[in-house]
Amino acid sequence: MSAAANGGVVTGRAGSVLRLRSARIALAVLAAIAVLAVFGPALAPQGPLTLNTNSLFQGPSWHHLLGTDYLGRDVLSRLMAGAPLSVLTALEAVGIGMVLGIAPGIASTFLGRGFDFVANRVADALMTLPSIFFAVAVTAALGNGLVQAMVPIGVLLAPAYFRITRAATLEYSRAQYVEAAELMGASKFHLVKAHVVRKVFPNIVVTTASLTAGALLAVSFLTFLGIGVQPPEPTWGGVLSSDLDYLSQAPWAPFIPGALIAVSVGALNAFADAFRDRGGRGALALPPLAQLTVRTGPTLEDANGSRRSVA
Amino acid sequence: MALDDLLLDDPVFAPTAARAVPPREDVLRIDDLHVSIHDGLATAVRGVSLRVGAAETVGLVGESGSGKTLTCRAALGLLPAGCRVGSGSVSFAGQDVTSASRRTWESIHGSQVGAVFQDPASYLNPSLTVGAQLAEVLRVKGRLSRQQARRRAIELFGDVGLHQPERVFHQIPAELSGDMLQRAMVAIAISCGPRLLIADEATTALDVTIQAEVIDLLLDLRRRNGLAVMFVSHDLAVVAELCDRIYVFYAGQVVESGTVEDIVHRPRHPYTKALVRVASGGDFRRRHLEVIPGSPPQVGTRMVGCSFADRCRFALGPCCSGEVRSVVVGDQHEVRCARANDGELSDELLAV
Amino acid sequence: MSVADLVLVASPTTTAAAGGVPSRQRGRQILARIGSGLAVLVPIVFISSFITYSLGALSNSDPAATILGQDGATPQAVARMNRALGLNHPLVVQYGNWLVKAVHGNLGVSYFTQVPVSTSISQRLPVDLSIAGLAVVLAIVIGGSAGILAAVRRGGWFDRGVTLVCSAVSTLPAFVVGIILVVLFATTIKIFPANGYVGPTTSVPEWLEHIILPGLALSLQVSADVARQLRTSLVGVLEQNYVVGATVRGLPRRRVLFRHALRNAAGPAITVLGYDFPLMLAGSVAAEAVFSLPGLGQLLLESAQTRDIPVVQGLLLVISSFVIVVNLVVNTTLNVLYRTNDGTST
Repeated sequence: MSAAANGGVVTGRAGSVLRLRSARIALAVLAAIAVLAVFGPALAPQGPLTLNTNSLFQGPSWHHLLGTDYLGRDVLSRLMAGAPLSVLTALEAVGIGMVLGIAPGIASTFLGRGFDFVANRVADALMTLPSIFFAVAVTAALGNGLVQAMVPIGVLLAPAYFRITRAATLEYSRAQYVEAAELMGASKFHLVKAHVVRKVFPNIVVTTASLTAGALLAVSFLTFLGIGVQPPEPTWGGVLSSDLDYLSQAPWAPFIPGALIAVSVGALNAFADAFRDRGGRGALALPPLAQLTVRTGPTLEDANGSRRSVA
Repeated sequence: MALDDLLLDDPVFAPTAARAVPPREDVLRIDDLHVSIHDGLATAVRGVSLRVGAAETVGLVGESGSGKTLTCRAALGLLPAGCRVGSGSVSFAGQDVTSASRRTWESIHGSQVGAVFQDPASYLNPSLTVGAQLAEVLRVKGRLSRQQARRRAIELFGDVGLHQPERVFHQIPAELSGDMLQRAMVAIAISCGPRLLIADEATTALDVTIQAEVIDLLLDLRRRNGLAVMFVSHDLAVVAELCDRIYVFYAGQVVESGTVEDIVHRPRHPYTKALVRVASGGDFRRRHLEVIPGSPPQVGTRMVGCSFADRCRFALGPCCSGEVRSVVVGDQHEVRCARANDGELSDELLAV
Repeated sequence: MSVADLVLVASPTTTAAAGGVPSRQRGRQILARIGSGLAVLVPIVFISSFITYSLGALSNSDPAATILGQDGATPQAVARMNRALGLNHPLVVQYGNWLVKAVHGNLGVSYFTQVPVSTSISQRLPVDLSIAGLAVVLAIVIGGSAGILAAVRRGGWFDRGVTLVCSAVSTLPAFVVGIILVVLFATTIKIFPANGYVGPTTSVPEWLEHIILPGLALSLQVSADVARQLRTSLVGVLEQNYVVGATVRGLPRRRVLFRHALRNAAGPAITVLGYDFPLMLAGSVAAEAVFSLPGLGQLLLESAQTRDIPVVQGLLLVISSFVIVVNLVVNTTLNVLYRTNDGTST
């Protein structure tokens, strides 16, 4: 399939995802955020907690690239320093979801219908609980900490992983070549280990990207609501929340952390889309001209295959 | 069973009687139609002219890609995306609809012309009952009340030969067999009393025995309601059984047209002759399939000279240069062949 | 996606021989489907409410001690309080008691304010109902029309605009959108109030004034999802043969679009709406924070802070019941719209 004009979608294996321009941009953004997540506080140009009482609510300037907040603190530094908490707890939630979801998903094909029924009901039940509500509710039980709050988020992400691994395993186990392999003596477990994982892997990558985006939003949300924030430690949601309190003095302020969250989430979603599409939908490839007509009836054989070309 | 036998057995056709054209206005008339595809990249219908008179059955025969389906779609105002009428005209009972508005088409569809297609199940809404879909047309276009529409719908289902029409009324397409669906489609198509029914490969997907029944149905409708039918198919045998006149399509053009008599017994175009041979050659005793060597040109390929020349046994120099015009060779019989007036050729065609 | 799928999958099939079904039999079919849907939901309700209840067990706070205060928390008083609160029974029994009482409308009493939980909830419920209701309506109207117009004028500027806006909106969390709205319409251009709530019984125009910004903020995410989904399905459906079939019968275009195309394309969009509903409820917590609305979200935050377990449990139960009911409605709608030949849907 030829590369179409729009974005250069090409069929191929995983490496080809990089050929999509939006994927390259997304990955670059994600790499930058990853760096921040690890080295954020160290890279911040100024102390995130440093007060500059004579320069409150300043707009972007050379000294303060993103301006200052209501206590004169450099916004850029605060956001950079707040990166690790947001990103790492989001990843924590996704990790929990993976651990809790993938194993039952694969197992439910092999452990019989009873287990499958129960597992499905549990997954459903979890999906009826709104994530933020549940997370906040858990803090009532476990105390007001961000780490604790992300555990329920993680638990609520598990059904998604459960679903895809279950679907893939189910589909796989019914394939005829599996039956053939089993007849030849391979154990189901071995087959699963060798093949299902590979088959499911792309789905998992896409799901993980999307769910990380969701988890990141959830973290921002929770810190916005004040869960897990130990002032004056900065968090993305916390910065957003305090900006809201001083909206009249600095109406432009909330857009900055908002944009940061949006960009991270957008990059993750773009990556997920690119990865999913790399199978080459070729949406813009023109159908061959001959396909216009419906193949009707027996076609006339061609014995010598001669065809005169255009003069 | 040879084609000739078919014709002799059919009481409607006497081998010698030529059908007189009824002196009324043509139900459908297409003049020099050109249709381009892929937003003008190629021309798939190149100068097609045909007419369907009142209560006539006309057949369009040709292989895939010959332009017959596109011609139908153009006649219905339903060209797929990217296809456009380049030039020429289409008119229903004298009314030119070539560049008709959507509103005009809405009033023509159903009331003046109906259509049935190859895969009836796909042309019906899968989540509504067939009865509801027929009743809908009756209520919206025929302005009947719910009760009246329901009654009339069941009546129509009976008319097209469906058993237990009340039961069929409540079934969704997935619950009905192919031939029942096709009958239901016919019922819907004729429900508002159109004068023309366009059937595009309507019997292709059906069993041979069912095919015969559907053809009988169409003939019956013609007898009872004076319905004209334009029947499109790749199968000359079926077309010959049903139609009064036939247009043979090849590579986007009409290469021969005439009464079914002319086409079957006195073909003047080598392609037509080959088609007739293929259609009547399905005899178990023969050892090889009748084939036409070579294959038709890809849709839209621009041709110089006769488009069939590269596969024609009788091709000569003049066939490959210059435009080949349509020549009248008999009463209602035309052929598009460079050697049309060549006596030698016509003798050879009759002989083989 | 969750409950919806399950209900559909678990429905029993009727034999194909049933054939033509006149309308009252069809009505019975739908009822049977709802019944089996409910049957599947029962375990879900139990499981989710059990999870909710066991939060209390997870908690390592000692409600008895907290209520009695530091001075009164002698071991005997604590033991007595525990018995009074019913905390000395095994978890499952406690759960059972709680559930039974809940079904009768008794959700217990706040540890601290001694106000019945059901009272607190019912006081604040209208706020959330107003906002969520408005959000759903807006999502259907805005998302629906955008999706339809984009599909009908596929490839046009409207279509591309809608796609762009949808992508942008899905990256913005609901509360950011809410903030933007506040900034635009309440602070800068003072059309709508930035906070507070006025009930419809007091004054309808003021009520509308107060719920429109939060409702809009909540609905945007869902509208985007609905629009995107509807556009995709509708584009697919419009290419189907039965649209050609309906057109060639001479039916007016609007009818073909709504009665035939949309009817079949709406399914996935309705499913998305059901799926997004819990997300929208989550967003209402933020909306209440941003717009200072006295809703259930605020109640949740406050009681979580004070670790007022009964309130939290009651809230969670009420909320998840909402979600389950909405899912049931979605499924019923899908069942009514679609049927296949053996009686199951899609």
